Amino acid sequence: MPVDPRYYDIRRVSGEITQVDIDNGKVEQAGTSFYDKATVRVLGDLGWGILSVPGHRSGSENLHKDLISQALSASAITNERVEISPVPSRIHQIPRIGEDPRQVDIEEKVKILLDLEKSAAADNIVSRRVTYIEKAENVFFIDSSGVEYQYELCRCGFSVLAVASRGGVVQMGYERDHTISGLNIRHRHDLARESADRALQLLDARPAKGGMMHAILDPELGGVFAHEAVGHAAEGDLVKEGNSVLKGKIGEMIGSSQITIVDDPSLVEFGFCPVDDEGSATSRTEIIRAGKMQSYLHSKETLAKIGDGIAGHCRGMAGEMPIVRMSNTFIENGDASFEEILQTCKDGILLKGSRGGQVDPGRGMFQFNAEYGYLIEGGECTTMVRDVSLSGEILQTLHAVSMVGNDRALHPGYCGKGGQTVPVTDGAPHLLLENAVVGGSDVC
Amino acid sequence: MSVEQILKAAQGRVDEAEVCISTGSSLSADLKQRQIEIGSLSEGSGLVIRVITDGQIGISSTNTMDTWEQCLDAAVASARFSDRVDWKGLPKPAAIDHNPLAYDSAVQARPEILTNLISRMLSGADSHPDAVVTGGSVSISCATHTIANSTGLFYEAPETNVTVSLEMIAGQSTGFEYDTSWRLDAINPEHVGEKAAFFAASGQEGEEISTGSYDVVLSPTALSHLLEATVIPALSGRNVHTGRSFFAGKNGQKVMDEHVSLIDDPFDSRGIGNCPWDGEGMPVQKTSFVDHGILSSFAYDLKTAYRYGEHPTGHAVRSGMGGAPGIGHHNLILTADTIDVMGDNAVYIHDLIGAHTANPMSGDFSVELSNPFHINGGDLDKPIRTGMLSGNVFDLLSQIDGCSKETRTMGSLILPSVRCSQVSIVGRG
Repeated sequence: MPVDPRYYDIRRVSGEITQVDIDNGKVEQAGTSFYDKATVRVLGDLGWGILSVPGHRSGSENLHKDLISQALSASAITNERVEISPVPSRIHQIPRIGEDPRQVDIEEKVKILLDLEKSAAADNIVSRRVTYIEKAENVFFIDSSGVEYQYELCRCGFSVLAVASRGGVVQMGYERDHTISGLNIRHRHDLARESADRALQLLDARPAKGGMMHAILDPELGGVFAHEAVGHAAEGDLVKEGNSVLKGKIGEMIGSSQITIVDDPSLVEFGFCPVDDEGSATSRTEIIRAGKMQSYLHSKETLAKIGDGIAGHCRGMAGEMPIVRMSNTFIENGDASFEEILQTCKDGILLKGSRGGQVDPGRGMFQFNAEYGYLIEGGECTTMVRDVSLSGEILQTLHAVSMVGNDRALHPGYCGKGGQTVPVTDGAPHLLLENAVVGGSDVC
Repeated sequence: MSVEQILKAAQGRVDEAEVCISTGSSLSADLKQRQIEIGSLSEGSGLVIRVITDGQIGISSTNTMDTWEQCLDAAVASARFSDRVDWKGLPKPAAIDHNPLAYDSAVQARPEILTNLISRMLSGADSHPDAVVTGGSVSISCATHTIANSTGLFYEAPETNVTVSLEMIAGQSTGFEYDTSWRLDAINPEHVGEKAAFFAASGQEGEEISTGSYDVVLSPTALSHLLEATVIPALSGRNVHTGRSFFAGKNGQKVMDEHVSLIDDPFDSRGIGNCPWDGEGMPVQKTSFVDHGILSSFAYDLKTAYRYGEHPTGHAVRSGMGGAPGIGHHNLILTADTIDVMGDNAVYIHDLIGAHTANPMSGDFSVELSNPFHINGGDLDKPIRTGMLSGNVFDLLSQIDGCSKETRTMGSLILPSVRCSQVSIVGRG
C-alpha cells in the first residue's frame, strides 16, 4: 500500500434542517434536526478510496492524517487507474438573501403556513397539506493541492397539496416553490389557492387520449425535457461508461438549430453552486448550441477521461461521494410568441406542469408526466385533460422541436441520481414538438 | 452517551420519551465498465429522540451522538408546536422473541467477499458476449438498531445486508439487474450478471408495436414500480384518514379481483429487513390488507392510530439512520390464482420508465416500456423497440388473469409476474 495518496480532499458538511408539516389543519411536525458529516476522497495507486464518517472526526489536521490513511486502505480493492484533470478553483460570492429564514422563529413560520393552508380550502376539497423545509448548510473543503474554502448557504421552500373529490373522482393539485433568496412563504396565498383550483378543475377534465400528435410543452415541462432527455445523457460519468446516446456526438447536429441547452451552476438560482463539491470553479456549460452537441458535464475525473467540456459539475449530498450532476438546466429563448406556437400547432395538445420524469440514457428513451393539459383545436386551447404523459427518443425528439418560444421560466426542484438528491432548477420557453408520442389512460 | 442517559435527562421534562439509535458500517466497490474504480468505507450512526407531553409530540435527530443534548432540547421544543393527539402511550416491553431475523454472521465488511461477488457477477455477464458492462456495484453493510423508551422498553437487533447490481448495454439496448438480501448465500451474483446481459443483448433490433390493446405480462419489477406509486400509499392509514387515498371509505368493499390478496408478513424469511418489532417498538404481526379482493385493513403507526381513534398495527418504519417513524410495511406479498402466465402469446414487460409519475389518487398511468418482448410459444421472443403502457393500476388489479408461481423479492415487496388482458399500449409502429 502506498504511503501517500496521489490526491486527497476532505469535505465536511454540517447543518440544520427545519421542517413543518401541516395536514388538514393539524400541525403534525414542526422542528429542527442536525447533521455533521465528512467525506474523504483519496486517489491511491489505482482508483478512488472514499471514507464517510461523522463530521467531528475531521476536526483537526492530525485527524485528517488518520482519515486519509483509512480512505487509502479502502482504495486497495480498486484495479483501474483513475486520473484527474487539474482544474481551476474559485468560489463565487454567496448572494445576499432577503429575509433570512434562520432569523424567523418556527412559531411564526407555523402561523404563516397554517394561514396558507386555509387558503386552499373550498367546497369539494377533501384534503390539504402544506410542508415547509429549510436547510442551512455549512460546507468546508480542503484538498491536497492547497485549495480550501468554506461557505454557508440556506435553502428553503414549501409545497401545497390539495385533493378534490366528487362523485367518486379524486384529483390533486400541487404547487411548490423553493429558493436560495430568503424566506418565501409570506403572501403566497395565490399559490395555495391555485393548487385547490387545479384539483377542482381536474375533476371535470377528460382523461387524455394517447397517440401520436403535435405537443406544446409549457416552460416547466420543457425544463423537465431539457433535464431528463438531454442533461442526464450529457453527464460525463454516463458518457465515460458508455451508457449515453450522446457519446461520440460532439460537433454533430443532434437537434433542431433553434435549440440551445445550458447547465449553469454559477447562476444564482435554486441549483446554485458557489464552487462544486470537488473544489472546481463553476461556470456556464453549453451542452447543445444551435442544435450542435457542444460539451459534456464533467467532474475532474470524467474531464480527464473524455474531454469536451469543463469540470465544475460534480456534486454530492452531505456524507456522500460527489458525482456528475446538473444544477440549473435550461433551454435558451427562441423568438416565437406563445400565440404563434399555438397557431402553428393548430391541432394537438398543450402539456402543463410536471409530475416528474425518468430517462434511460443508454437506450436514449425518456418519459415524463404533465400535471394537466389542454387539447388544441384550430389553434386554440379547448378541453382540459388529465393524466397525460410524453415519451420519446432523445435524438429523434431534439430534431422534432419545430418552434422555440421567447418566454423562458425556471422552476426549482430536486433531482435524484445514484441515491443522492440535490437541488436543481429546470426551465425552458414554450416548445412545439412535432409528432410526439403522448400517453393517456384513454387510449383505444 | 448512553440510551439510559438520554431517557434520564428527558425524565421530568416530558411525559414520555423514545430513543432510536442506529450504528453501522458498510464497505462497497463500484465498477466502471468491468474495472473496480472506487472502494468506499462508510461509518455512521443516527440518533432520533421523540418526546410526548400532554399529547404533543416532538422529534429531532442528529448523526453525532455527542450532540444528543442539543437534539433532546430540539425535540422538547418542537413538541410545543404540534397539534395534540389522544395519546395512549408508547409501547411497554412485550414478551417477544429477540432473535434477530435479518442477521447473517457471514456478512462481513471484508474486501475479498466483495471481489468474489464481483467476479461471479461478471462471469454471469459473460454469457451474452454481445453485451458490455457499463457500471455496477457491490456493497456489504452491518448495523445495529436500538429502540428504547421511558416505559422500560429496550430492544436491540443486528442487521446485515448484501446488494449487488449490474448495468449493461448492447448497441442501444440496456439491461439492469440487482439482488439484495440479508443472507450472503441467498445472493446469486451469476444470475444478476446473466440477466443484465440477457436484457441488453436480447433487446437489440426490436420492432415497433402498433397502438392497440394487448394481453400483457408484467414482471415482478414492473409490477413493483406501479404498486409503489399507487397502491402502497393508498394503504397508509394517514392517507386514508386525510382523504388522500383511493381506498378511503372502501374498507370491506371489493377493490381488486376476487383472487387477489395483499398480505404483509413481517416474518417471511425472504424479506430483507425483518425484525420482531416495528420502528416504534410495537410487536409486528401478519396483516391482511386485501383478502381475496376485499379491502380488509390499513397500516397505522402510533400517532396516526391515536389521532384517528384506530388501533396501531405495528407498521411504523424508519428509513435509513436517523429517520423519523412513518407508515410503511414489512414484506408486502401479492398473491392470485397461479397460471402459466407465459402460456399464451402476450407482451412481456420487464420494467417501466417513469412509473413514479402515476397518479397516486386515481391510479391512472401512462409510462414507457423498458425491455418489452413478444411472448411466443411460452418464451420471450422478438424484442419490442418502444411503447407506452397506459391504464389504471386499480383497474388492472381488478381484472388480473392470474399470476406466476415464481416470485421475486425486491426490498420489502415479494411479487409474482401477473398477466392482464386488453391493456392499452401506444406504439410508434
